[in-house]
Amino acid sequence: MTDDEWVSYELTVDGKPHQVTARWDESLLTVLRERLGVRGPKLGCAHGRCGACTVTLALDGESALTCSCLLPAAAAAGADVSTVASLAAGDGALSDVQDAFLEAGAVQCGYCTAGMVQSATGLLERNPDPTRDDVVAALYGNLCRCTGYGRIVEAVLATAARRRNR
Amino acid sequence: MLLAAPRFALPETVAEAVAALAERPGAVLVAGGTEVLPDLLWRRRSAAGFVSLRRIPGLRTVVPGLTLGSGVTAARLQRPDVAAAAPALARSAASLGTPQVRAEATLGGNVVSALPYRNLLPVLLALDATLVLASAAGEREVPFDGFVLAPGQAALRPGEVLTAVRVPVRTGFQDYVKVGRRNAQYVATVSAAVVVDTAERRVRFGFGNAAATPLRLDEADRAATAAVDWSTGAVTLDGAEAVAELVRRGVDPPEDDAATAAYRRHALGVLARRLLLRAGGADDR
Repeated sequence: MTDDEWVSYELTVDGKPHQVTARWDESLLTVLRERLGVRGPKLGCAHGRCGACTVTLALDGESALTCSCLLPAAAAAGADVSTVASLAAGDGALSDVQDAFLEAGAVQCGYCTAGMVQSATGLLERNPDPTRDDVVAALYGNLCRCTGYGRIVEAVLATAARRRNR
Repeated sequence: MLLAAPRFALPETVAEAVAALAERPGAVLVAGGTEVLPDLLWRRRSAAGFVSLRRIPGLRTVVPGLTLGSGVTAARLQRPDVAAAAPALARSAASLGTPQVRAEATLGGNVVSALPYRNLLPVLLALDATLVLASAAGEREVPFDGFVLAPGQAALRPGEVLTAVRVPVRTGFQDYVKVGRRNAQYVATVSAAVVVDTAERRVRFGFGNAAATPLRLDEADRAATAAVDWSTGAVTLDGAEAVAELVRRGVDPPEDDAATAAYRRHALGVLARRLLLRAGGADDR
């Protein structure tokens, strides 16, 4: 590896600022997992199908759920990245979406769960009263190889119902 | 410039991007990254560096009328302003990848990837879109029709950057349909777009995976234009079937693991007939 391979920039991940030095072609997922030890986002298909690597990327005043495996990390220099780790409270208590996943038995092998929970959380922020079709559409980019979709959709609907009754 | 390294540049203007590309031989322009990163991983492409277009605000703008920056994302194309001005473009963007991919995948990336099955390309053909290209030599504007030379090969000159896509706003029916191997997250086996221009009384199709490059068929467009009763907007079944026959005869579809050429030829006829009947207000079929 020659010296000209490296790029340095800042990234904030789950509220914590980091100075990153990585190869020019590393994806955001690689930087999160291999450089910063952030293990919520997973490597699944590596081409934008499975959503196991989903993170929330806040950059230049816009915020969106995106596949961290597809984005060159250096292009996100200065970004604020939120992973599943930012959903739980500081004391370790799970978010209501995470609790609902456990209660509904929506977690089998768990590989897709971080991405699923983030897509579900994003949906409920945009749309507090989703229909079943809305939930299915919001989870379109998250694949579950255990095919636990029924219980996953139930968990999201249950969270929405519980928030409405709160 | 937000970042400049020997093999990576993060420009904030098109001029900076053009200069950064010239200074980095073998570097690849990356917009959203949704195609380039998998291509590098699966070794379908090599690169000696990246010049990222991700942080150039001027490329992410939508100007009514309609000029779309090349960095406008597929998710942005789904929003109501674009959907009102170019409904077929919004429809095709809505079935591109997944929500996470649409958040990063760009209009410009879809165009420059130049693959015959890319979602947005048949729509840009049917809409008669033009492309704005910038380089150190200045700016030029070319029709999208003819821009794709071969699968994966666009008529970009060395050092040139696609900065915007101009889409004429038409009044009339528009739609986009595609057929894939399954019902979710599918790449088009074949696709088709139709744009009806009620002002000029003209129908124009664009087809995806109907040939080595996105395809337009003058004969089918003429027949479709003739098949519309312009006083009522109605289309007869016979008229639509005649157009379908011209489409089946005019296409030269690829044959691959996803489908045979014969299947694609048949399906493209079905899609053309379906789109024209929808344009005529017929029940969906």
